Amino acid sequence: MTLAGRGASVALNSLEKRYEGFGAVRGVSIDIRSGEFLTLLGPSGSGKTTTLMMIAGFETPSAGDIAIDGRSVVALPAHRRNIGMVFQNYALFPHLTVAENIGFPLKQRGVAKAERARLVEEALELVRLPGYGTRQPRQLSGGQQQRVALARAIVFKPRLLLMDEPLGALDKQLRESLQLEMRRLHADLGITFIYVTHDQEEALTMSDRIAVMHEGRVAQIGPPEELYDRPENRFVAAFIGESNFLPATVRGREEGHVVAECAGSLVRATCTTNPAPGESVTLAARPERLRFVDGGWPAPPPANRLAVTVTEAVFVGERCRYVLRTGDGTSLVLKEPSSAATRRRVAGETAEVAWSVADTILV
Amino acid sequence: MSEAIAPALLAPGRTAGMNWRRLVPLLLVAPLVLFMLALYALPVLAMLSRSLLEPAPTLAHYAELAGDEVFHRIFTNTLWTTLVVTAGTLVLGYPVAMGLARARTLLPLLLIIVLLPFWTSVLVRSYAWMVLLGRHGLVNEALLAMGMLDRPLRILNTPLAVHIAMVHILLPYMILPIANALRQIDPSLARAAAGLGAGPWAVFRQVTLPLSMPGVMAGILLVFVLSLGFYITPALVGGPRDMTLSMLIAQRVEQLDWAYAATLSAVLLATALVIIAIFQRAFGVGTAFRMSAR
Amino acid sequence: MSHPSLSRRILFGLLAAPALLPGRGSAETLPEVTSIPDSLKGSGEIRVATFGGTMQEVQKRAYFEPFEKLSGIRVRDFAGSDITKIKAMVETGNVEWDLAQVSRGSVMNLQKRGDYFEKIDYDIIDAGVPAAFRFEYGLEMLVWAQVLAYRTDAFRGAVPKGWADFWDTKKFPGDRALLGAGSGNQPELEFALMAAGVPPEQVYPMDLDKAFASYTKIKRDVVKWWETGAVPVQLLTDREVVMTSVWNGRMAALQQAGVPAAVSWSQGLLKRDCWAIPKGSRNRAQAMKFIAYSTMAIPQARLSMLIPYGSVNDGANEYLSPARQEVLPSAPAIRSQLLTYNYDWWVENRDAVTARFNRWLLT
Repeated sequence: MTLAGRGASVALNSLEKRYEGFGAVRGVSIDIRSGEFLTLLGPSGSGKTTTLMMIAGFETPSAGDIAIDGRSVVALPAHRRNIGMVFQNYALFPHLTVAENIGFPLKQRGVAKAERARLVEEALELVRLPGYGTRQPRQLSGGQQQRVALARAIVFKPRLLLMDEPLGALDKQLRESLQLEMRRLHADLGITFIYVTHDQEEALTMSDRIAVMHEGRVAQIGPPEELYDRPENRFVAAFIGESNFLPATVRGREEGHVVAECAGSLVRATCTTNPAPGESVTLAARPERLRFVDGGWPAPPPANRLAVTVTEAVFVGERCRYVLRTGDGTSLVLKEPSSAATRRRVAGETAEVAWSVADTILV
Repeated sequence: MSEAIAPALLAPGRTAGMNWRRLVPLLLVAPLVLFMLALYALPVLAMLSRSLLEPAPTLAHYAELAGDEVFHRIFTNTLWTTLVVTAGTLVLGYPVAMGLARARTLLPLLLIIVLLPFWTSVLVRSYAWMVLLGRHGLVNEALLAMGMLDRPLRILNTPLAVHIAMVHILLPYMILPIANALRQIDPSLARAAAGLGAGPWAVFRQVTLPLSMPGVMAGILLVFVLSLGFYITPALVGGPRDMTLSMLIAQRVEQLDWAYAATLSAVLLATALVIIAIFQRAFGVGTAFRMSAR
Repeated sequence: MSHPSLSRRILFGLLAAPALLPGRGSAETLPEVTSIPDSLKGSGEIRVATFGGTMQEVQKRAYFEPFEKLSGIRVRDFAGSDITKIKAMVETGNVEWDLAQVSRGSVMNLQKRGDYFEKIDYDIIDAGVPAAFRFEYGLEMLVWAQVLAYRTDAFRGAVPKGWADFWDTKKFPGDRALLGAGSGNQPELEFALMAAGVPPEQVYPMDLDKAFASYTKIKRDVVKWWETGAVPVQLLTDREVVMTSVWNGRMAALQQAGVPAAVSWSQGLLKRDCWAIPKGSRNRAQAMKFIAYSTMAIPQARLSMLIPYGSVNDGANEYLSPARQEVLPSAPAIRSQLLTYNYDWWVENRDAVTARFNRWLLT
């Protein structure tokens, strides 16, 4: 057994789960590094929770393998895997006090009572709930309950912590503060986190890497910036952040870029593949990376340009949001940081937009 | 309950200024309360009062009962039977309740199987046990055929037959509340426990069982109180000495000694009430229900 | 806390109904009453409480229906006659029955405690009813016997005759059942005394010490003190006992079912049911007319042809075939072997006997 650091490494190898012919997980392979914060992100039904449940041992894979620290755990029952787990509904035992809840995994491991009490108090401090040990779970707020669940999942010092939408039931403000706390905990503990969520912002904020799941497969895996800046497919581009999709026809290649014709103009896009001239493709561009050419925010060259008509203009405070139409009828969204110095456009106006070639992705 | 409602009903003048919204629920339960009072509470009280008032105000019946050796034996026997039957239904019923709580597609079928005995009269079920438990009955014949016995066991007309038949008749009363309590337990709790290192037995012992206790208590209470009043089954399948309190009461009723029958009934009722009170105290049935309602 | 009384009558109807109607409407045609004296005619209705079940069906054919036609008085019959109900009805002044099938013992017991029954008008009663069946507050109208029954395959051809044989467990080995003290029954002290050698004519007044001493000798061999008529029959059928006391009406069904069992009439007890009119009955006069009609020879004979119970009218035997008379306790040849149950003695001693029997059995 190789122990690289305090966290476990997890290898998912062609993992599959079928329910009566329906494939919930259809070949997932991910190598999770020791100490990594990996998020499985996807809409409901994408297979992210099923994958997590297979790692935890609550579901048995139909095919494929799960190895923790290089050793297959598929045959091990859940209670022998030594994995911390936090559930969306907290799953605190309602008949036990907070201290008994946190002490539960220690009790299963035969930790003596005094030692147990010490570790429980330590864990309570770690989640910033010192002195809450004698309370009943139902006396706590949702956020407090989730901290208790977190304390319970880490008190026995597992090398891997699984979390299934742990913040899903909380309000936005609480969620944001707990997100930061989870990052801090992750940094302090140094153990491997596998986190499931459908909230892309949460995933982007916390993760070292994100695996975007779609219909039982990994659509793309990578660090948040990479997924945002260079989505490899239309699903990822749409699911993470907002994207404009422009139909285009490939005309050729130039300096490592693809040159395509879009709404009568030639635009350049970064591309890892090699599409043939004449092929129809889709280009993606983020709304906040488009600029009006005469807006005083010149895009860094090399830039693409398109002539558009403004069809809708909305002031949202920190920015302005415009809906534009290109010559071939494609709708685009453009977000402009608001400034009293910038002229606001009105519907019906014509304009020219530009954006960096680096921000143009062929998906 | 009646005290809270009676003034509202009897003094309409005083309630005129009362908020109607508060009055409506009272009015809604009033018919039920009156019904229970008139058709249940009053007759029971009238019956019980015979133990103190016939032929003249007296405690003589209770004195007689206190010194009645036959009563002591029968009361002990009744309590013992009740204990054994309650334990039997619990041990046999709990696993069935777990099956019922976990069943999905099979649930309707399992429910029918569990409830089936409800649709057969106690009389018919007791006769069925006579046929099954006899020395030449199905149970003995099967054990003989399997070579587990070399001569038939006497089961019918013994306390064991009473216990078997009563457990069978009362099982649904144990199974249903437990299954209901088990169904209310969040399934992620068992997963959480397993994930935290608890093996199947530890999950059961430390999570499932304690969380099902409200149902267990309700089941125990129901079975205990119901078996206190059993009459037909012990009379049919029991042995010469298997007399229960209800049989003694029936005997006295037939003898038209209603004062003593009322005295015995008062003792039976008091026993049931004491047991309920003990449960309330010891296990806080109220708080337990609140917990399971979460 | 009241329980359905396990009276022999209820079970009778429940469990033995079809087999108990030998040759219904086939073998013999029932004799008919063609006219009745004007003194038995009238109008209105009577409400009759019976023991229900097969007996009620038989009573309908034997005398309710003909009486309605001949007298012009409507008969409404109810199952579930019960002395305790009569007590409650009379005490509350809500008398729902004009006539009830009960036993002389219960009538006398209740009458000891107050005035619960109307006197019988003997001016209109048929002369064929002997004085033995007449008493002030009721008229006996049905005769049955409590007799020894045994399995014919149990003793290699030996035939038990009387209670000394029943008590002789060496000559006739095997378990026994006897009637207990529950459900309004009285233990069979008469049998215990006859077993101890007391001649039938000297049984009453009974010597309790002697009777219980005799009981003690058989106590170990009595596996069941039954209290409902279906039980001894079931025990015989299932070979649970080799000998028991039974109500004679039960045996016909048993023998028809092919169970190798027989009765020994010798030293049996002759018991009776009677009609009694609850005090305050609204249709007292009509009820009295019905009592007179139903105890006439032909109605009595009709009943005995439909069910193996005896008649109280000496004239009834004329209408009964010799074959039928072999199973009727009222037939002269059988009646002479039976001891007439002494209701007077039992009314005086029942409570003391029951208490002593309980004590003897349980302590």
